[in-house]
Amino acid sequence: MSCVLLILSTSRTSQNAIEYAVDLAKKGKAKLVVLYIIETELTNEVFDKFTDIGFIGDKPSTQLTEAIMKEYRQRGYEEMGKVQIRAMEENVDFDAVTTQGDFVEKAIEVIDRYKVTTAVAIKRKRSAFLKYFSKSVVDELVEKAPCKVEVFEE
Amino acid sequence: MNVVIDKRPIWVILLSRSLRPLFFVVVAIIFWYLVSIPTPDGLGLEGQRTIALFVVCLILWVSGVLPLAITSLLAIVMVPLLGVLDKKAAYALFGNEAVFFILGAFILSGAVMHSGLAGRTAVVIMSRFGETPKRLIASIFFLAAVLSFFMSEHAVAAMFFPIVLEIAKGLNLKPGKSVYAKSLFLALAWGCIIGGVATFLGGARVPLAVGMLKEATGINIGFFEYTAAAFPTVLIMLLIGYFMLTKFLPSDVEDIHKIKAVFERKIKELGKIGYAEYAVGVLMAVTIFLWLFLGRTIGIANIAIASVVVLFVFKLVRWKDIEEYVNWGIILMYGGAITLGAAMEKSGAAAWIANTVISEWARSPLIIIAILSLLTILLTEGMSNAAVIAILLPVGIGIAGKFNLDPRIITYTIAIPAGLAFCFPMSTPANAIAVSSGYVTARDMAKAGVLMMISAWVLFNITVFIYWPLIGIKI
Repeated sequence: MSCVLLILSTSRTSQNAIEYAVDLAKKGKAKLVVLYIIETELTNEVFDKFTDIGFIGDKPSTQLTEAIMKEYRQRGYEEMGKVQIRAMEENVDFDAVTTQGDFVEKAIEVIDRYKVTTAVAIKRKRSAFLKYFSKSVVDELVEKAPCKVEVFEE
Repeated sequence: MNVVIDKRPIWVILLSRSLRPLFFVVVAIIFWYLVSIPTPDGLGLEGQRTIALFVVCLILWVSGVLPLAITSLLAIVMVPLLGVLDKKAAYALFGNEAVFFILGAFILSGAVMHSGLAGRTAVVIMSRFGETPKRLIASIFFLAAVLSFFMSEHAVAAMFFPIVLEIAKGLNLKPGKSVYAKSLFLALAWGCIIGGVATFLGGARVPLAVGMLKEATGINIGFFEYTAAAFPTVLIMLLIGYFMLTKFLPSDVEDIHKIKAVFERKIKELGKIGYAEYAVGVLMAVTIFLWLFLGRTIGIANIAIASVVVLFVFKLVRWKDIEEYVNWGIILMYGGAITLGAAMEKSGAAAWIANTVISEWARSPLIIIAILSLLTILLTEGMSNAAVIAILLPVGIGIAGKFNLDPRIITYTIAIPAGLAFCFPMSTPANAIAVSSGYVTARDMAKAGVLMMISAWVLFNITVFIYWPLIGIKI
């Protein structure tokens, strides 16, 4: 049975991508796996900022980081819930994975684990200036992934 | 076990691994070059060495390659090693009154947070006044500002974050899309930033600037005196901020009655007000009164430390709580910055920079104030505001000497704009918190922040020229 992977993250979600992935899985009679990656860079940045230049100590900084992470996790569950409902409506076999850490590394890990045939990823729209100076993690994924990656730019 | 093979070309791998050591080698070469070139006219050997050290600290503070506090420790070590000040004098500067005031203020702020007083005040006021979308924005914005008058703006931002997050969730606002959510989080960040410059208590940068001024010139600035100079900028910026939040980010929410339940639950969770909250509140009120009206006679650091002692006499906090609520590392930063500032002044380096470099563009006191405030407000967007003060104030005091300006004016000109960082998440923790919510993007913040930054600079200069002479600050 082939497998379609939909990769969502804290800053990369798209209703169009969800619809597309469900449709792709249905047409190919494939299993749909949703991976939600909780990006930790921003929370780490906030924590580092407090440690480096902030005036408050470890306890409130940790509480703040926990509040942010809790919020990210909840958003992840909500997003995965949306996909699950769509998958159930279309009678598509569904599985969900939540993880945190590096986007590319985690996506490739799941691609290998589920032997994914097609991955669907969402790329944030970026200015030409940023595109010139830095590569998107989604482009990196397209290069490194051992399967086809379809990209939605939103 | 997964083995990840780095497939990049070998030269890229070697370069990426050697960048950090290479950076320090380049910094060392710059330092060596600056101390070994012939001493310029009008500058002594000690001054030359101090400038070399100043450039090294400047590079490290701006690049952030080392934690700010570690760069400051490097300054403390290098000042006696370079023969600028003797060991005893250099390390004694760490015991500066400003450092102890900052320490006392951090501990008191930690006690207010720990007691739950600040959180209760925020929830009660928001639930009472935040009945319409605009009034809720106003209560978050003005409340964050007013609390930042009395305690660290970073503490206020950290304390408000979970409350504002619950409000956004309670209203089902979409992260990154809802305009009202953007207003809520920008109100939180801007309120803390603007309120934080009103007194000595919002951030440690003002006591740092005052401490550096006192070490360099012997001139002191009182708590009341500073607040009187800064207050119009704060007040008008609050009005501009509120206008921007409500007019440029018009609410896409009409009914906010759903969040009434959020506030009710929060108030219920807090329970009845306890002894510790009352006592910490009274102690803070008495301390602020003493800072305002007896700060000059008793000494602001003495008042702060005495209040800390009272906290423990009445068992309002335990030492363990305070240890967890205070960022001890950052205190090192302030001690080092004061030492470097004093070395710049005593070695004649600050006066030399003012005479040779700055006199090229400085034609009148008004231009000096306009340019210094602009430089400060631009630098503070990209780096720690305390580091901006540590870099600009020693030179600023040198400029004051050359143009016969009151050094207090230069101190205000750098200390007030140094707190007004609106554009980027890296500018200040309050901005980083707002962006981390996901409701405000870095792009939203930059767009609105640029307007706030320009308004702040223009307004500050208008205040300097119109209001300051009225309160006896003659330019």
